[in-house]
Amino acid sequence: MNKQIRKLAAALIVLYIALFVQLNVLQVGKKQALDNHPLNNRQTIRDFNRPRGPIVTADGVVVAESVPTPTDSQFKFQRTYPLKDLFSNITGYYTYSFGSTQLEKTKDAVLMGDTAAQKVSGVFGGNDNSGRVVLTMRADLQKVAADALGNREGSAIVMDPNTGAILAMVSYPRFDANQVATHDSKQAQDVLAYLNNYPGKPLLANAYQESYMPGSSFKIVTTGIAFENGVTSMDRTFPVTTEWVPPQTTDPIHNYGGHACGGTMDEVFYRSCNIPFAQLATELGPDRMVAGTRAWGIGEKLPVDLPGAAASNFENANGKPIDFAQNMPLLAIGGFGQANDLMVPLQMCMVASTVATGGKMMKPYAVDATLDHAGKVLSRTQPTVWKTPISQATATNLTSMMIDVVNKGTGRPMQLANGIQAAAKTGTAQLNATGQTQRSHAWIVSFAPASAPKYAVAVVLKGTNATISAGTGGLLAGPVAKQILDWLFAHP
Amino acid sequence: MSQSPIATARRNSELGLVVMAAGITAVAYTLASLGKNTQIPARIVPFLIALLALLVSAHVAVRLLAPGADSTLLPLAILLHGIGYVVIARLSDRLAGLQTTWSLIAIVAFVATLLVVQRPSDLARYKWTFLVIGAGLIVMPLVPGIGVAVGGARIWVAIGPINFQPGEFAKIALALFFAGYLADTRELIAAGTRRIGPMRIPEMKYVLPVTIAWGFAVAVMVLEKDLGSALLFFTMFTVMMWVATERAIYLVLGLVLFSGAAYVAWKLFAVVQLRVHVWLDPWAQYQGKGYQIVQAMFAFANGGTGGTGLGLGSPTKIPAAKTDFIFAAIGEELGLVGGTAVIIAFLLIIGAGLRIATRSERPFEKLLATGLTTIIGMQAFIIIGGVIRLVPLTGITLPFVSYGGTSLLANYVLLALLLRVSDSTARRKGEVPDVLTLGERWESWGKRRDEKKGIRRAPITDEHEQQYDEPGYDEHDVTEDDEPYDDEPYDDQSVDDEPYDDEQITDEHPVVEP
Repeated sequence: MNKQIRKLAAALIVLYIALFVQLNVLQVGKKQALDNHPLNNRQTIRDFNRPRGPIVTADGVVVAESVPTPTDSQFKFQRTYPLKDLFSNITGYYTYSFGSTQLEKTKDAVLMGDTAAQKVSGVFGGNDNSGRVVLTMRADLQKVAADALGNREGSAIVMDPNTGAILAMVSYPRFDANQVATHDSKQAQDVLAYLNNYPGKPLLANAYQESYMPGSSFKIVTTGIAFENGVTSMDRTFPVTTEWVPPQTTDPIHNYGGHACGGTMDEVFYRSCNIPFAQLATELGPDRMVAGTRAWGIGEKLPVDLPGAAASNFENANGKPIDFAQNMPLLAIGGFGQANDLMVPLQMCMVASTVATGGKMMKPYAVDATLDHAGKVLSRTQPTVWKTPISQATATNLTSMMIDVVNKGTGRPMQLANGIQAAAKTGTAQLNATGQTQRSHAWIVSFAPASAPKYAVAVVLKGTNATISAGTGGLLAGPVAKQILDWLFAHP
Repeated sequence: MSQSPIATARRNSELGLVVMAAGITAVAYTLASLGKNTQIPARIVPFLIALLALLVSAHVAVRLLAPGADSTLLPLAILLHGIGYVVIARLSDRLAGLQTTWSLIAIVAFVATLLVVQRPSDLARYKWTFLVIGAGLIVMPLVPGIGVAVGGARIWVAIGPINFQPGEFAKIALALFFAGYLADTRELIAAGTRRIGPMRIPEMKYVLPVTIAWGFAVAVMVLEKDLGSALLFFTMFTVMMWVATERAIYLVLGLVLFSGAAYVAWKLFAVVQLRVHVWLDPWAQYQGKGYQIVQAMFAFANGGTGGTGLGLGSPTKIPAAKTDFIFAAIGEELGLVGGTAVIIAFLLIIGAGLRIATRSERPFEKLLATGLTTIIGMQAFIIIGGVIRLVPLTGITLPFVSYGGTSLLANYVLLALLLRVSDSTARRKGEVPDVLTLGERWESWGKRRDEKKGIRRAPITDEHEQQYDEPGYDEHDVTEDDEPYDDEPYDDQSVDDEPYDDEQITDEHPVVEP
């Protein structure tokens, strides 16, 4: 019988080896696939019981942090956003049932202490090796920008033109991430449903995740392309006229308000005549105009270090390329920022920055650095040039014209306190054809001081109501930008 | 107490291992509390003292009652029991309290079994009784009024306030019956009388009782939808038949029967088809029957190599984490390392159990040890394999680890029987002195008293005659007593009255039921 018993032992050993092998398959081989399975929320549960590092602003204000909960709570930590709605579009939210967004999502590994570097140092440290994310943005400036915007739908962005660092980026409407981050899944679901249906997309950072018709602020782009291609110069003059018929149509183009407008290059720029820029676009022709806008980065997803960036548009209509050669009027109208033109507010700020830096368009960024638990730098963002759409000479010309916009043109509300010279361009984007209820976006892009630019600003107020639509970019958006820049120069 | 050097060495290593297992349990218990509530458990010191007292008392019982027994079985069982207890306590405070009570009762049952069963051969004589008990226990859940169906399977019995799973004890009773019956008839069955081709067909009268018992047990369990237990019985019976007869044909026969039974079950029972479908593709039924197995897979993945740490995983997402799926909770919080430790612990128990079987030279003890070890080994394999999706899931408990009073109690009784067989072999091999057991001394004391009163009683039934020839069997102190027998009333008469001895009875002549 012993022979059989030994065989039985061998058989049982084989069975148990099979158990061991299968256990390895589950716990090692398929670990990654199972951990990342969409039905699996164990990682989330575990993460909710682990410390998670804060997101702090450049001026040291905590805008997202995890605080311990009372002992009988579902999870050990509650994610909170001390500044409520002010940074929610940047930090995003971190929820149990509905995932996470924005920096909470893209910087999750750093915040949880899960990057390779943090795990190595965590071996020698304590239980908590969560990291922190330091923004380039300033909490005080963000507050000023939000107050300047008030409860008008729109966005305001402040950046350092020389580096691309975003100093403030706010839009209205926005939301309070605290209401979504609650552990009460039902309540979070209700809040998200409400926000999703709310007009104006409060869950999106409109400043870089949406695009709007730019109106005359686009003339910086067209003028830049025209200068680069030698189609115009500072010496060129345009006839004073009220209307001009572009090729392939009998329907004339008018200036804003139907005024007669013309003069030198500088004059038509600061007075923001439409016809000269329609003519420049026509003279450039489809190929050079499309190539030129591409050189400005239009049509590419913005290279900002935040997720879900939008792209601006010049050459497409309803997602399909426009055959400008067969449709010259559209090219002409596109030349002064109407028709199918759409600009992301952040990109308009980058356009102003490009002029300010003498032709270099920097990659915009909101994260200055990531730090480990001990405060050691894990990564620091290095300023990088994204595009160089214009030369130094063109930039100089554009700067001088944008100074005149402030001093004697449509941007007079941008005359800053303490004699600081700003350069700017206004925009009033007319959203609908003549005869319909007029709706228009009010834009201003600016940088200051004009001689040695430190800040670039872009403001857009959406034409969602009659009050805003009745105004112009200079009159409505101008004061917002001025308020921000005046405060900023007083609190550098 | 006088003990041989071998016995002393075995018991001392057992004590060392028991203390280690207790230490591991205590540390794990503390870590689980720290992980879950970030605090040292309340009353940790009394817990530790009670734990040590309980476990050491089990060891002391072995030292006194089975000094020659295998030294690894008890510590291994305690280690598994301890890991299981910690995981249960981490999952539910209420169940931890109940499991504490059950642990106490189980250890008492362990000691009681060692006390009551002092010679394995006593058990062989009651094989028919065990058959009746086993059959009765199996049928109990089907009896209207006391049988309770929980989660689809009708395996519970509720009498008054007491709930238990009689099947857990039935498997021991039937193992005892099979061992006793096959020990008597194995050669008759193996020899056969007629030939069909290469096969020799045994006489029906020898095979029939065991086949009926086996068929009955499996059929009833299938009726109760207790597929795991049915599979377990099937395997145990086939293995015991094969080992007893030494004929591989019974293995083949078992496999053929199993395939047939599996096919019929597949056709007849929707639950069988469901289990197989869930096994092949649990994702398809995530919202239904596949949920538990999918969550278990997530748990194992979450645990990874080192585990999340005790109290730091989320095994509560698996509904049956305390019972059938406890291995998933272990895999999550203790990782591949902890899961492998449990697997190895069961392998070591199998090794120790089968070593006991091979060491014994008596067919009954061999078969009993083989059957009991097969129960533990296969039960652990079936449920672990089911939980990790190696085989279709059939719900049974993980021995010593899962929550459940009946299971714990039955497994400790099983453990005590294995130790008893082990000790009995050690006595016969002369590794430990074959002293009279407590029961035998009690009986002899009674007889002596009766003799003083002039009452003559039937001689003590005891096949361990050689003990009377050995000097120094006295349990008090050999060295101090030159005449160790002087207070014993035994004489040669008892030997003469019982003419059979170990070597002959079991193989040639069936033991006659008293």
